[in-house]
Amino acid sequence: MSEFALEIENLVKVYAARGKAPVRAVDGMSFRAPQGIIFGLLGPNGAGKSTILRVLTTLTRPTEGSARILGYDVVKKPVEVRKRISSVIQETAVELFLSVRDNLLTYARFQGLDKATATRRANALIEEFQLGAEMDRKVQDLSGGFRRRVQVAKVFMVQTPVLFLDEFSTGMDPILKRQVMNLLRAEVEKGRTIILTTQVLSEAEELCDDILIINKGKQIAHGDLNALKLLSQGVYEITLAYDRLPETIQAEIAALTPIRATVEANTVDLTLKIEESRVMDIVSALSRNRHILRVEVRGASLEDIFLELTTRQGKEQA
Amino acid sequence: MSALSAVVYREAKIRATNFTFIFWDLFFPLLYMLVFGVGINTALGAPTGLGNVNYNEFFLAGILAMASFAIASNTSWSFFLDRDNGIFYEMLTYPMSRSEYLLGKVIFNVCIAVLQAALTLVVGRLLLGIRVDWQKLPLLFAGMAIGTAGWFFFYAIFALRIKRNDIFNSVTSVFYFVFMFASSMFYPLEPLPAWFRRTALLNPITWEIDWLRFTSIGLGNFHVILLEGAAFMAFALACFVYAVRCLQRQE
Repeated sequence: MSEFALEIENLVKVYAARGKAPVRAVDGMSFRAPQGIIFGLLGPNGAGKSTILRVLTTLTRPTEGSARILGYDVVKKPVEVRKRISSVIQETAVELFLSVRDNLLTYARFQGLDKATATRRANALIEEFQLGAEMDRKVQDLSGGFRRRVQVAKVFMVQTPVLFLDEFSTGMDPILKRQVMNLLRAEVEKGRTIILTTQVLSEAEELCDDILIINKGKQIAHGDLNALKLLSQGVYEITLAYDRLPETIQAEIAALTPIRATVEANTVDLTLKIEESRVMDIVSALSRNRHILRVEVRGASLEDIFLELTTRQGKEQA
Repeated sequence: MSALSAVVYREAKIRATNFTFIFWDLFFPLLYMLVFGVGINTALGAPTGLGNVNYNEFFLAGILAMASFAIASNTSWSFFLDRDNGIFYEMLTYPMSRSEYLLGKVIFNVCIAVLQAALTLVVGRLLLGIRVDWQKLPLLFAGMAIGTAGWFFFYAIFALRIKRNDIFNSVTSVFYFVFMFASSMFYPLEPLPAWFRRTALLNPITWEIDWLRFTSIGLGNFHVILLEGAAFMAFALACFVYAVRCLQRQE
């Protein structure tokens, strides 16, 4: 068995619909992820994240290149791949006509679990995902959030070595999301590899051991959070809370050409790519002759890095 | 094997949530025979040129074929339901091959079709006095099983290639009309115009009906039936291979 959970080489996926221009959703990507980590695939809408996941989960065939899960080629050995994975796809995927419990048990049956183990795990997950009151209700009678809960709970029924999560937290409340994130961490400690896509960057920042940022089907950056921060040196987040927002603040912000700027109530949040020596100059310029309630200067977050890298790629292509 | 049993289990679980559906699946051919068959039999009597075979006896095979055709069509429609629920794509990542998925889906429905046939034969014999050739019963059940599977694979091709269920519904409506009426389902082909007869003989449902008619009431030429049976097997196999290909291309 390969030491890598996934290996992708020169992967290309072109969607060609009749009468429409072909779309190059993945454009010659190569990367690998070792076993026993949480690997994050980040990118804006249409970046190609879900397409990569669809290739890796054998849902779609690559146009060119290859992809392997634990050494098994997704095209040549799809069933071997499927035996080693479980996945939460982006769309809600549940058996609407079955009860919550039967959803879990039916899933277990597909994964080859014996009845006693399946029942034991289903009971534990029903409790863990707070589905006790709904366990005998048909899923079609549940809200979207509960349906997503059932869908995510299913993948914890089994111990497949690789787990794919495509924007798993969509529709989850913060408490449940926190619980699921803890569960994911526990699964990785047991040796499972998790490959997730997300647009919630704080989620990726907290969970992922290794991150690949992609845009328009191409790789922009790859590494752990520290390596990515190095790629984006000179990015700072500045927060200033005024007692009263200055009238000229919008013009002052625009003159700084920030990567990102938000003005809410009396607070200004700026993300700037500047030399370290200029940070305090900018803070004092924005504070001069004003009553400041709070000042914060931070290094780049994953969100800043992401924005900086994707914006940079956009400018380079233009 | 476990993958097949899992798909069968799923199909059975879902079907068991709707008792109206189960009732209709099991009793639909029987009700059709009792209402339509008895009506025609009383009004028009025996079809011409078939000796002492009355309409109820003649129509029995037609009803069984119609039932297998309907089960196949209903089952293929479930692809749309599964796609809408998102579960279709998730299931394609489960540890099974595409052919196991298709076969699993059909096995449960084949069981329903065979059960339905048995029920129809027994009630047909008891209530309408239909003279059933009990010795050929295994061959009749085999015909029902292969017939249902063949039509399911045929419909699956369209259900997998067509993305909109309103278009699929239109296509199945046309199929119902063409396949059922241009066949030996409702009437014997012998008195019909030559062009109609030729069309009907090219229709796979005629092959299925002729097989079922021969194995239920002994009507037909054994050599022709054998040829038609082989042709239907080839049709079912070709549809299966193509349906698996369509399933592999789902994106």
